[in-house]
Amino acid sequence: MTDSLIRLRVNGRDVASPEGTMLLEACRQNGIEIPTLCSDPRLKPASNCRLCEVEVEGRERPACACATPVEEGLVVETHTPALEDFRRAMLERLAGRIPAEDPARLAGKPFRKLLDAYGVTPSGVRRPEAKHPEHPYLDVDLSWCVACGRCVRICDEVQGQNIWTFTGRAGDLALAPELSPGLRESACVSCGACADTCPTGAIEDVTRLAEGLPERWVRTTCPYCGTGCELDMGVKGGRLTEARPVVASAVSRGHLCVKGRYGWGFNDAPDRITKPMIRRNGLWEAASWEEALEAAARAFRGALDAGGPGAVGVLASSRSTNEENYLTQKFARLALGTHNVDCCARVCHAPSAAGLGQAFGTGAATNSYADIERAGLLLVVGANPTENHPIVGARIRQRARAGVPLIVIDPRRTELAALATVHLAPRPGTNLPLLQAMANLILGEGLADTAFLATRTLNLETYAASLREWTPERAGALCGVEPEAIRRAARLYATTGPAMIFHGLGVTEHRQGTDGVAALAHLALLTGNVGLAGGGVNPLRGQNNVQGSAQMGCEPSRLTGYQKLAQSRETHAQVWGADLPEAPGLNALEMIDAAGEGRLKALLVIGYDPLLSHPGARETAENLNGLDALVVVDLFLTETAKAFGTVFLPAASPFEKEGTFMNGERRVQRVRRVVAPKGGSRTDSEILAGLAERLGAGQHFRHRDAAAVWDEARQVWPAIAGISHARLDREGGLQWPCPAEDHPGTPVLHVGTFPGGRVAFRPLAWEPSPEASDAEFPFLLNTGRSLFHFNAATMTGRTRNRDLRADDELEIHPEDAAELGLAAGDPVRVQSRHGSFTLRARPTDRVRRGEPFATFHAVAAYVNLATGRGRDRVTGTPEYKVTAVSLHAVTKRKA
Amino acid sequence: MAAIRTKPDPQIYTFPGFGTDKFPNLMLRGAGDLDNWHLKTYEQKHEGYVALKAALKLEPVAVVEEMKTSGIRGRGGAGFPCGLKWSFMPKDTADRKFTRYLVCNGDEGEPGTFKDRAILEYNPHQLIEGMIIGGWAMQCAKGFVYIRGEFLWLVEKLEAAIQQARDAGYLGKNILGTGWDYDILVYRGAGAYICGEETALLNSLEGRRGEPRVKPPFPAAKGAFGQPTTVNNVETLAAVPPILRMGGAEYAKLGTPKNTGTRIFGVSGHVKRPGLFELPLGTPMDFVVNELAGGSSTGRKIKAIIPGGASAPMFDEKDFDCPLDFDTVKARGSMAGSGGLICMDEDTCMVQATLRLIRFYAHESCGQCTPCREGCNWMEMVLHRIEHGEGRMEDLDLLASLTPRIGLRTLCPLGDAACGPMDSALQKFRHEFEHHITHKTCYATGSRLLSTVGAH
Repeated sequence: MTDSLIRLRVNGRDVASPEGTMLLEACRQNGIEIPTLCSDPRLKPASNCRLCEVEVEGRERPACACATPVEEGLVVETHTPALEDFRRAMLERLAGRIPAEDPARLAGKPFRKLLDAYGVTPSGVRRPEAKHPEHPYLDVDLSWCVACGRCVRICDEVQGQNIWTFTGRAGDLALAPELSPGLRESACVSCGACADTCPTGAIEDVTRLAEGLPERWVRTTCPYCGTGCELDMGVKGGRLTEARPVVASAVSRGHLCVKGRYGWGFNDAPDRITKPMIRRNGLWEAASWEEALEAAARAFRGALDAGGPGAVGVLASSRSTNEENYLTQKFARLALGTHNVDCCARVCHAPSAAGLGQAFGTGAATNSYADIERAGLLLVVGANPTENHPIVGARIRQRARAGVPLIVIDPRRTELAALATVHLAPRPGTNLPLLQAMANLILGEGLADTAFLATRTLNLETYAASLREWTPERAGALCGVEPEAIRRAARLYATTGPAMIFHGLGVTEHRQGTDGVAALAHLALLTGNVGLAGGGVNPLRGQNNVQGSAQMGCEPSRLTGYQKLAQSRETHAQVWGADLPEAPGLNALEMIDAAGEGRLKALLVIGYDPLLSHPGARETAENLNGLDALVVVDLFLTETAKAFGTVFLPAASPFEKEGTFMNGERRVQRVRRVVAPKGGSRTDSEILAGLAERLGAGQHFRHRDAAAVWDEARQVWPAIAGISHARLDREGGLQWPCPAEDHPGTPVLHVGTFPGGRVAFRPLAWEPSPEASDAEFPFLLNTGRSLFHFNAATMTGRTRNRDLRADDELEIHPEDAAELGLAAGDPVRVQSRHGSFTLRARPTDRVRRGEPFATFHAVAAYVNLATGRGRDRVTGTPEYKVTAVSLHAVTKRKA
Repeated sequence: MAAIRTKPDPQIYTFPGFGTDKFPNLMLRGAGDLDNWHLKTYEQKHEGYVALKAALKLEPVAVVEEMKTSGIRGRGGAGFPCGLKWSFMPKDTADRKFTRYLVCNGDEGEPGTFKDRAILEYNPHQLIEGMIIGGWAMQCAKGFVYIRGEFLWLVEKLEAAIQQARDAGYLGKNILGTGWDYDILVYRGAGAYICGEETALLNSLEGRRGEPRVKPPFPAAKGAFGQPTTVNNVETLAAVPPILRMGGAEYAKLGTPKNTGTRIFGVSGHVKRPGLFELPLGTPMDFVVNELAGGSSTGRKIKAIIPGGASAPMFDEKDFDCPLDFDTVKARGSMAGSGGLICMDEDTCMVQATLRLIRFYAHESCGQCTPCREGCNWMEMVLHRIEHGEGRMEDLDLLASLTPRIGLRTLCPLGDAACGPMDSALQKFRHEFEHHITHKTCYATGSRLLSTVGAH
């Protein structure tokens, strides 16, 4: 190691630093702080504040320490009288711009520290015209701007939105949102990166100005999507007051999106339920924990007595920690004696787990987000990461802007599609023909990695034969895509390695979701893009811990570690000291079907709103109505709870408990208690232990803390044996498999070999969805999320995100809208064979003709009234992405 | 064809003996003749495209060597050896990983400088030929001419000339059967002095805000659109065809050993015959001002000359004999810069002149670097109060203390440039500043200063 160190002399002291380190950082590592305003570790050096100038022996000009790499033998002086005089003079000039009033705005800011260090005080006046229009999260008052440009650069280099720009020059220099009077009207995505990097508070969080500096900071993991960004949560007076990105985070690298950065307000929402409730005579009544737990336990005992273990079930929460999910499935299996336990992976990425499991032997992402920067090509299929996984999306966009080829397969022209080298827009439901044609081309044109195929795969001949019918012409006709574009995409993917695939629910939420994932896996196998950095097939997991839920065993046919029942039953029984039930379990959708048939009588639902989120809401309601008891563990009265709940147990939020989440790249990261559980709410672990106690299984749930639960899980799942809470606290997140404490974790799966040695290609036969358009239902409806809201908006809907985007909208091609007489904002009724809903039209050419797209966040829209019964043949995942509909303008516009 | 301006301009381009061996006319050949820009004229009268045909028979690296032999130094102002600059481009020209670019800096914005526009006006084909030869030498895929936005009529003329060159097969696909494809695009600036700085120019060319970039990476590694790029001044590129025609060694005999060739000096201010004079480097300044430009136009003595465009520190009388080459002018405390000589007679108020110059830099600072943005404004403010009779003696110390806080402390040389006039004016004409402060009248003109005139 010492060989790679560069030795230099700073202020007469010998200093050593790794090659490539900039002087500024090298000095900092050695305890020499050089003043700077414009540098930020997230950004390329700009060298414009010039405060970090140092004198380097033999150089005519002073050098900016932020942009000068260390060199062997460099002799540097950092604090000569001339340099200090220069710095003070510059700070005095800058301080002359900063208002003397309202010193609180500068509190804790880097500029304040510099002024204090040089004994300079702000002496300017506030310029009323420098105050920007109001924004829900960002307060912009350029009276405090010192023109360091960090906001401009972070919006460009990190988020890639390029909202901020300087206008004018020299004395007239001013910051402005590009081409827009204010941030709200601009394309700003409210990621807050500008406010986070601003050294003076000219751009500042509204909450920081309202609440002041937090009293303390607690590091935890974001409770929104499966990216797994780390957060520094600020606490004041026992309440959350702000969230900041973590520069040192391996996942998020100092960046956050609007949800993680600003979407924590739900924690103190006025309608959060913090006392247990029991429904009596149709009305909710407050109850003590004792009463409520007893009522819930009684209901389960009654159902078990009446119908046996098949009559009870548990829907686990993908919002909860790994530890709680581990306990949830253990609760189902030991306290209730049933395998009727499932999580919401069923309605999103179960096909990814199944498809990748079949193809590679492990049902999880093969690679890491860090590979985005290593990939020679990025293929994004059925995913809209700039909105739904914004930190991943921003990084993909940065790569595309840097010239890395990007292929996007998506019916909509998403932000990434607009940037793509090739954008293929297949008709909804035709992923398989498209991917088959690409595979066929790769084989037919001799672009496959024959060495890889020969040593690591089986069954190629049969598979190749099954592909031959899929000419680009045939697939193109089915998909509505130019055959030449399919050729171009296939050639590009096959010849530009390493090629990394990201996919989303646009692949999985189909009748052939699992096959779609398998088809992607086959493309990666054909081209040897498995088992190498910058390659692989990577599902962008939806919920913060959906990977963890399924992985901890909240699956009817799988135990902890996603291990098959048969394979791991013994280990579990041994560690648990109890036998596991024999009868197979039902998945989430089957459980609700069973409720409708009277077979399932009592259901425990943790942090899950099936009534709102399952397809075919009318039928879901009828089925849920068949339950005798529905025990809801949640923060809020969900639609399910409102309509059918019998007992409500108020849960602690993700900011109120200890544990871990598992992100979409298999990384286990710590979740920490930032604030105490609100009011009388309890953690899932406490609730499950209380229920188990009353069901006679208390002995299995007496863990000391979350770490003890995790340690038990390590015993049943060898791949996480090397990950302990203590190690996570020490080293940060780790990616499984990590079988031993001295194992570094596994960023890339399947290097050299697959879990079962070679993997076999599986021919995939296309079966068109019966959910086809016809004369009566001429449109194919697609559904998805928007940037500002998360799923059922249970959390984001209770934050000022609703001020950024209030309503769900139906994206519709302008020509379709014109034919239907719809203008922007007009209500439109969407009618399917299953039901209907109404929302506002948003004409846009992001969607193609005949293929409208609805977001599904708000209860008001209730998109799932219209979605159908179609399910993936392997996993039962609903076909949310294809519904034949007709559209009707609700009120005729005046001619 | 677009309407090309045909109105003759009153500029002087020649002098007795110009075009002889003693004063060869390499870049200003034919200047003053408005028909000269046509391809036919260039080919028939001025050996047009002869050099290109010769260059295309040479290996690209041999062309770079010829440029090195010629010793020509960049005419934009910094005087960096052009052949050396060309050799900084990635060596392996067969490597298709890069797309190489040649950018011609035609943003001519330095006050007192007006030479490039003359080349564009009368000799656009010589520039085009130079750019094709440069493109060949560095195996570029494209050349860009970044041209000052105000030169709209010259853009039209240049584009017409480029089209003629395309039609003649000098540009486009498979140029003169070499298999090499190359074309030239013209891009208009939008009125910012800073875009004459090469990295700000590249940002502007890419459609970004015209702000200088952090160097390294230098343009040869990462220039326009992230690709290897060489940026050369109009005059430098226009010198390429003559260099190739006469041979680098022959060219190197012109001027002085380390300052070879001819360059175009622009003389303006209080002289009888302001104009452009192409002369071998090392020609004494007083010869140019007195013999060629005719000396003072006012009958009063010339008291100050800025020898290389507004950014160059001023000379007073004792340096008027300075030979005009990069090294000697530098040794005497100024810089040869862009070759623009600005002459000021005795009645010129040096406070006012300095204020006028500093106001220019304060206005044109891109605002990126704190010392330049804050410092130029600061100097302007202090000068303004001296000029208006509100100065204090301490202001002179303040001004003197400001330049070391600005000069050499910015990303690009604009900050340095502002310090040149400031420091030299204070050193050489301090008594005028003191007079303003103590007498509240102007030393040069005797007139009362604004603050003493009273409100009206």
